[in-house]
Amino acid sequence: VRKIYLLWLAGAGLCLVLFAVLRPTEAGSPEERAALDAGRVVITYWDRHTGHEHEARAALIREYNESQGKVDKVYVRALPIGYNVLMEKILTVTAVGSPPDICSIDTSILAQLSAQGCFTGLSSWMATVPSLAENEFFPHTWALVNFRGYDGATQHWVTDVWGIPTTTDTYCLLWNKEAFRRAGLDPNRPPRTIAELEQYAGKLTIRGPNGIEQIGFVPWFPWDLTHMWGGFFGGKWYDTETGYATCGDDPKIIAAYAWQQRFSIDPAAAQQLPFVINPNQYPAYEKMAAYMSANNPFYAGKVAMITEGEWQVTFIPKFASHLDWGVAPIPQPEGVPPMAYGPSCVADAVPISARHKDAAFKFLQWFYSPRADGRPSPVSDYNEAIHNIPPIRAEALQERFMGDPKFRVFVEQLLDKPVLTSPIVPQSQYFMDKIDNARQKVVLRKMTPEEAARSVEKDTNEVLADTYRLMGASANDAR
Amino acid sequence: MTPGERRNLRNGLLFALPYIVGFTMLEVYPLAMTVKYSLQRYSVLRPAVWVGLENYRRLFVEDETFWKSLYNTAYFTLGSVPAGLALALCLAMLLSLKVRGQAVYRTIFFLPTIVPLVASAVLWLWVLDPQSGLLNSTLRGVLHLPKVPGWLADTNWSKPALILMSLWSIGGAMVIFLAGLAEVPQSLYEVADIDGAGPLSKFRHVTLPMVSPVILFNLIIGLINGFQYFTQVYVMTNGRGDPAESTMFYALYLYRNAFYYLQMGYGAAMAWIMFLVILGATLVVLMMSKRWVYYLGE
Repeated sequence: VRKIYLLWLAGAGLCLVLFAVLRPTEAGSPEERAALDAGRVVITYWDRHTGHEHEARAALIREYNESQGKVDKVYVRALPIGYNVLMEKILTVTAVGSPPDICSIDTSILAQLSAQGCFTGLSSWMATVPSLAENEFFPHTWALVNFRGYDGATQHWVTDVWGIPTTTDTYCLLWNKEAFRRAGLDPNRPPRTIAELEQYAGKLTIRGPNGIEQIGFVPWFPWDLTHMWGGFFGGKWYDTETGYATCGDDPKIIAAYAWQQRFSIDPAAAQQLPFVINPNQYPAYEKMAAYMSANNPFYAGKVAMITEGEWQVTFIPKFASHLDWGVAPIPQPEGVPPMAYGPSCVADAVPISARHKDAAFKFLQWFYSPRADGRPSPVSDYNEAIHNIPPIRAEALQERFMGDPKFRVFVEQLLDKPVLTSPIVPQSQYFMDKIDNARQKVVLRKMTPEEAARSVEKDTNEVLADTYRLMGASANDAR
Repeated sequence: MTPGERRNLRNGLLFALPYIVGFTMLEVYPLAMTVKYSLQRYSVLRPAVWVGLENYRRLFVEDETFWKSLYNTAYFTLGSVPAGLALALCLAMLLSLKVRGQAVYRTIFFLPTIVPLVASAVLWLWVLDPQSGLLNSTLRGVLHLPKVPGWLADTNWSKPALILMSLWSIGGAMVIFLAGLAEVPQSLYEVADIDGAGPLSKFRHVTLPMVSPVILFNLIIGLINGFQYFTQVYVMTNGRGDPAESTMFYALYLYRNAFYYLQMGYGAAMAWIMFLVILGATLVVLMMSKRWVYYLGE
């Protein structure tokens, strides 16, 4: 028996030794230890990006830690979390009261989590920082972070700013000029209306004995942009006042679904339109595992026109330097006011139970303000490094963004047209999933456009109603 | 109870205590909580609201995707498990043959099992690409098929594609079959030889009954894994069961409800339904196993 007790004692001793060696500490590295010893506060920054995009952010954070951080007495620890697991990690750490001090997050998730009281309202602090005034930002980026959410501190619904826009994106039409030449089209004259787009798509679609050799254009390649097409056709997906979907009977939303259906083969038709494809043979790019490679169908000359984002200005020279291509606004139906598409932003948010909010604000002020020596803000450098558009208008107009004639076209989309964003509701991901899923069923002819619009409205509103109820709020409270 | 027995009981409990504490905190408590959450509307960060059986009612009565995900999962499980078992048994028999380099062959066939799931999923995206993938290139170039499947792009072929892919990782079942085959007494084959049995008769009347406990084990493990199929389908179908929910598997739908749509109570209800389905399927298999599983010495 004594032996057993001795074993227990030895086991307990071993546990104590292991705990002493492996216990979590404030300092995760010698640099952090030195920062703590120097009286600095170590704050944690969760990055929704990984890879080279995180590296760009980490380089700027290193700059802060070695310069202004010493003055502010703050040291920032940057952790690449990645998009896929961000939601569940934020949920978990917030639930146990141990979140990071700052979290970069997509605005689609921000809207959902802000309705749960997850983040700190930033408007009162931002009012003290001149570079973060509302009129500095593109209006659509401001709208994506400024909405009615739940303030976990006061337990009230308030309209506030729940994150600072860091990057923004927009979409344009990209076309292969060589394919235009081969089809007898003017390579410098892209389609400008939906009718022209169809006409060009027909001419650019090349069929061979083994199937399609070149696709002219397909609205859902490479991204499912049904939400965008609905807006571009003049439709309204939801009511911003009530916070509920309204697309069920919207003829323009139905028209957007019907127009996309025209691009899929119709088994019942005696004669097919010249640009149709069999959707069962062409998956989305992500599934082709070739998006960021020379095998990307647009780079490889298998698709002549696509709707893509500004990051392609960097990707194409990297993966397809031979490609002769152009960029222009996305065609819209005639008679509809011109519109741009900026579905979402990445934003920096401060969790409600962050331990070092003041230190987080100091870092954020440095990151979003022009540098003391007159150089542009770090966030502007960050956008240049990852080839996104800065959400601060004056920074987007810098020569380093506008100097590239192709990148310039993307930036210009955001300057003087209304910009359509993804739905800002507490179930934005569900809403977008339903919109895209219905599109898939429509082009596979498993659903009519009318059924698609109705099913999106019905399903989304059921989940939204449930969510509003759970939040202990009427829809009016949450809007 | 004698003093000695009492002492033994106490010491036994002391030794088991770390496990009991860990199991209670990390398994029993969360399980019990999911029962509670399944009866609530719950999003983790806001107080839960008691709704009774409402989550279950919505699942069974209103949620078409729930039924579709059940169907997709059953389709995949009923396709992949028998095919995987048959192939694993065939491979194990081939790899039991005493040939030069036997260990090397066994290693080669086991290797795919240790490839990380995400890496193998990305690899199979290439293989299954309808236009330039290895599989369709072979079907077109070697077999000269005029029409080839769209695999993951086609709602009719997406589940068969995943079943085909699941055969890539049968190494685990194969190793267990190898161990089972090694346990079959050689004398039984000798007796069969004397009786004039051919290879097929020996397989049917000796090998199959003798490895039937192993088949049962692999069948149950396969059923459980099939119903919980998640990682590959998450990576390969845009994380949402594309195209048109044809690969919306049960575990994927549960995950989306719980972590994307913040409907944790709904997700908990789905988890319990899955548990009951797996339990039911396992019990049915176990009950039916009395008819076809033979244990040596019974």
